Amino acid sequence: MRRATAIVVLVLALAAAAVPAAQAQDRPGRAWQSLTPEERWRAWENYQRYQQMPEQRQRMLERRHEQFRALPPQERDRLRQNYDTYRGFDPGQRRQFIEKYHRWKGRK
Amino acid sequence: MRCQRAQQWMAAAVDGELASRRRRALDGHLAACAACRRELAVTDRMLGALEALPMEAPVSAGLEQATLRRVRLAAADEAERAPGNGWRSWFPLPAFAVVTAAVLVLAVGIARRTGEVPAPVAVGSPSRAPGQPMAEARTPARPKTRVAEAPLPPEPPAKLAQAPDLFMDLPILRNMDKLRHFEAIETTTLDDEPGTPDGQEPPSNG
Repeated sequence: MRRATAIVVLVLALAAAAVPAAQAQDRPGRAWQSLTPEERWRAWENYQRYQQMPEQRQRMLERRHEQFRALPPQERDRLRQNYDTYRGFDPGQRRQFIEKYHRWKGRK
Repeated sequence: MRCQRAQQWMAAAVDGELASRRRRALDGHLAACAACRRELAVTDRMLGALEALPMEAPVSAGLEQATLRRVRLAAADEAERAPGNGWRSWFPLPAFAVVTAAVLVLAVGIARRTGEVPAPVAVGSPSRAPGQPMAEARTPARPKTRVAEAPLPPEPPAKLAQAPDLFMDLPILRNMDKLRHFEAIETTTLDDEPGTPDGQEPPSNG
């Protein structure tokens, strides 16, 4: 009985761990046709930036994209909000944040 | 444009977040100013390396602070010896790059000594092929800020059509490390003296 319970718990845990990844795989991204002209232009600009990156960095970004898609919606929203804040920084604030980031990364 | 303004815009340019008009102005300045081109390349490589670097070995706050103090003293000595360097004499980023490089070298050295990092970390250029000379890798090969000159094609390239989200979210993906730990980074202190006494826990991850 105890063994059966342990197996059930294990199966449930594995299923719970597999769900986000599977959802990320299954969740269709937005189609190109559904983007607004402004969004298309922004995607095109970023595509050109991506094309200029070394292949290793491109692969890293693709891995991050998969990770990002696998995140819970709240976490994705948090990152987007943080990005909006970061984007709103003036040059001085941004430079200070990057300096803090270097410092924080060194301590980590 | 003066170097001072160019320096202010570089971080945004590296993140791909500079507005088109400013980017063109910055590009114009970079085309004529070798010092700023070098600065941009250093900033770019440093941020790229930091984002990609797994920090496998903890460095104690005491050791870090001692290293930072020594590097800053050395940088101050150097600045005193060369007083007529214009914006370079007060702009903090180059000195900061030196400090960061010192911390990185220290951390990577410790990590490699403990055997936790399996391969050498190419801080200078992650794309450098094995055996490629370092001097060549140091050369800024790609004008990062020159994009979107080409018009939007009627049919997008296959990769773009397949996964437009990847490219829509590219700035977030590039800055993902910063954004995940945004709050912890914001609360990090920049003083020479650590915010916590030596030996205490570093800032949390999140």
